[in-house]
Amino acid sequence: METLSPNAAANESVTPAPQKKRGRGAWKTILQQKYLYLMSVPFIIWLFVFNYLPLMGWTMAFQNYKPAKGSYLEFSEQKWVGLENFIKLFQDDRFYLVLRNTLAMSVMGIIAGFVIPIAFAIFLNELKGKFFKRTVQTVSYLPHFVSWVVVAGIVTKMLSIEGGVVNDILMGLGFINEPIQFMAKGEWFWGIVTASDVWKETGWNAIIYLAAIAGIDKELYEAARVDGAGRFRQMWNITLPGIRTTISVLLIMSIGHLIGIGFEKQFQLSNSLVTDYSEVLDLYALEYGIKISRFSYGTAISIFTSVVSILLLLTANGVMKKLTKESIM
Amino acid sequence: MKWKNPKSLATLMLATALLIGGCSGGNNEPSNSGNTGKTGSNSGNEQAAEDNSPITFTFFGADASPNWNNMQDEVGKYITEKTGVTIQAEFDVGAGGGENKIQLMAASGEVPDFIFAKGNLSNLVDAGLIIDLAPLIEEHAPNLKKIYSENMNRLKYSNEDQSIYQIVTNMGVGQQYFDAGGGFEIQQRVLKEFGYPEIRTVKDFEDILKKYVEKYPETDGQPTIPLTLNADDWRIMISVTNPAFLATGAPDDGEYYVNPETYEAQLHYKRPEEKEYFRWLNHMYAEGLLDKDTFVQKDDQYKAKIASGRVLGLIDQEWGYQDAENALKTAGKDEYTYAHFPVTLTEEYVDHSFQSAGVDGAGIAITTAAEDPVRLIKFLDWLASDEGQVLRNWGIEGKHYTVDENGQRVIPQEIQDRKVNDATNFAKETGIGQYRTFSAWYGDGVKDSTGNYYTTNFPEQIVAGYTEAEKETLAAYNATTWKDLFPGEDEFPAKEWGALYNMPVPTDGDYQVIYQKTQDIIRKRIPEAILTSPENFDKVYDDFLAELDKAGAKEMEAEYTELVKKRVSLFTGKEIQ
Repeated sequence: METLSPNAAANESVTPAPQKKRGRGAWKTILQQKYLYLMSVPFIIWLFVFNYLPLMGWTMAFQNYKPAKGSYLEFSEQKWVGLENFIKLFQDDRFYLVLRNTLAMSVMGIIAGFVIPIAFAIFLNELKGKFFKRTVQTVSYLPHFVSWVVVAGIVTKMLSIEGGVVNDILMGLGFINEPIQFMAKGEWFWGIVTASDVWKETGWNAIIYLAAIAGIDKELYEAARVDGAGRFRQMWNITLPGIRTTISVLLIMSIGHLIGIGFEKQFQLSNSLVTDYSEVLDLYALEYGIKISRFSYGTAISIFTSVVSILLLLTANGVMKKLTKESIM
Repeated sequence: MKWKNPKSLATLMLATALLIGGCSGGNNEPSNSGNTGKTGSNSGNEQAAEDNSPITFTFFGADASPNWNNMQDEVGKYITEKTGVTIQAEFDVGAGGGENKIQLMAASGEVPDFIFAKGNLSNLVDAGLIIDLAPLIEEHAPNLKKIYSENMNRLKYSNEDQSIYQIVTNMGVGQQYFDAGGGFEIQQRVLKEFGYPEIRTVKDFEDILKKYVEKYPETDGQPTIPLTLNADDWRIMISVTNPAFLATGAPDDGEYYVNPETYEAQLHYKRPEEKEYFRWLNHMYAEGLLDKDTFVQKDDQYKAKIASGRVLGLIDQEWGYQDAENALKTAGKDEYTYAHFPVTLTEEYVDHSFQSAGVDGAGIAITTAAEDPVRLIKFLDWLASDEGQVLRNWGIEGKHYTVDENGQRVIPQEIQDRKVNDATNFAKETGIGQYRTFSAWYGDGVKDSTGNYYTTNFPEQIVAGYTEAEKETLAAYNATTWKDLFPGEDEFPAKEWGALYNMPVPTDGDYQVIYQKTQDIIRKRIPEAILTSPENFDKVYDDFLAELDKAGAKEMEAEYTELVKKRVSLFTGKEIQ
């Protein structure tokens, strides 16, 4: 969708063709721009082969799929079962539990993942020393390149009851008398995941906002200063509106990903005591789908995820369009 | 050094990445030469046996093999030289098990030439990716035939499908155990401190740990941990739940307990004795003797703790903490290594660790992806020959062992020292022990035609492998090996149903779903029962059992009972109702 829209936009702007000649005019334009079209062909083929052809696999969700003799799919031999897999899915209590976990963690992730990097970028932008600024920026995005396996190790160690920094600090300050086993408390799991995500991604996510802020016309700030605006007023009335477009585009896109948050962090950080809070949709698809050869069931889960994602994306886009006149489609 | 701008740093990193990538690319070169030495299946035996042209076979192993050195070790080079075969191997990582990887293979149909699938072979069989080895063995593999001989029946897949899909390689045929690696473990220093008291029941175990930690609350400046268990993923079965049946006198039948009279199977947690075992663990936790991190820590943290030497007691199998113990040995901290005891809940139970299941295990299977299965089975057969077995177990003559004037194989002292004290590097450099599961082998205690044992584990060698501290402990208990402390194989009849954790289960229908659900419940509720307050334990445990039945455990057990009965009749030829 996103790939195609710039093309369409370009078309419109280049040829404000009168209504009656439209059919002919369009052909003419295409002919005129044939090289441009030819250049886009490989990408359309690529998109089709890698993004649309695999969707044929969705048929699995309506079958009782068995991996066939050596080859990918002997279509005619599969047994069709209609919506049975979806019915089973919606009847499973565990599904609602993991759906709750998924949504909770991704909503928390979105809130923290927007507010903190934006604030960070704005404040960082206000700093004077160029060297200091650069260093802070580099240091802050480095954790992005650390794999979740390592991050999980660090987090577990920090929250450990024995020599864990967090417990040591809390005890040292006298907030608690006994170390807390953070990793064993299910209800804290969402918070721990969100916090480690913030630690890992804040710097990285701030990059795009810093770039957007750099694009704001300096004259606006000068004018504001002349009018007597202080630092915070400038941030509020110039910087924030200046990056509003970026924020809404990113927000719409991440709402599209709301339900498909992956499972890496949950998988790494979880343990048997907190599974009721840590299992997310993708893990559920792994445990109750692929791991026990229920490929059809796994596919049904992924179709559900995709459909919900598209709906969320369209809704978010529509709402944004209405509210701020900004959208990605 | 200061980086002038991010670009120069990035360039350097890129250059490094390319350099590393380039180097590792070089290692894969021989793989291009695959398939040049293709032999038709109809070519004569002797002619093909000499076919040593270079060939590469791809392989996946469901168990992690951290010391695998891409056949660049001494034994590996020798194998390639002799047979022309290079194994391009990939192993599962971390805690291993290979489940995820193998399921993906089943779904995509992309398999290596041969595979060690452990518990997940049936998925590949159902996907039609595994070939029947029976005709290949019959025609091309005299050595394999010799090793399995009367146990061929036990290699068959099921009553309905009597194909042989895998040869058992994770256990030696005719194995007699000389050493025990399981039971309950206690550090040598703890035993020494209290003059080597008798350790028979969990009470004895608890008391000695308690006394020691009270006396020495710190080890090398860090708090002493009386007992820790490993509950990371499937390791919870080995270290937390399996000991429940071992300590209450039942043999290992995976997640089930099978009644030897009626062959009725039930989830072993339902045995009332086991509830008492978990009550004891609950008590250990309440007393502060069980590590608070037990159900939170990961496999590597568990090992790191043990390697620090401050864990007094374990309930695990030696292979589960071997790496950590090796680290202790390398550091010269012998007194921190562990002794093994057949501890049971009370004295009325006997540890059944050594009840034999007969030949029944996981092993090597050949897939439909293998372009030349004949060459491959011949390679496996060569590994199973006397020459191959001695090579895999002993190494290269003149290098890793010598033959004395009486024709006895002897391991020189300096090699033996390295084997014990520098085990990791030794395995990487020499490759001894790295090729064990690639083909069939005779177990400990079987002698070859020269009158030597096939494996390096025979009583004298095992004793030679012990550290001084271990020998001291054993002497105090009037034993020469840990096995001497355990009830032996001859005290129990071999199980007619083999090893149930190897029994293929149906991959369609509800069985797998219910099993997965019960596993989820077990892995969640057992820790909960152990961590709850003692007065609450009964309620949590009873709820746990009720929850199992609610998830369909009864139906699952009934289905499993049927499978067990069928298996007994496949293995023994008995008719069972």
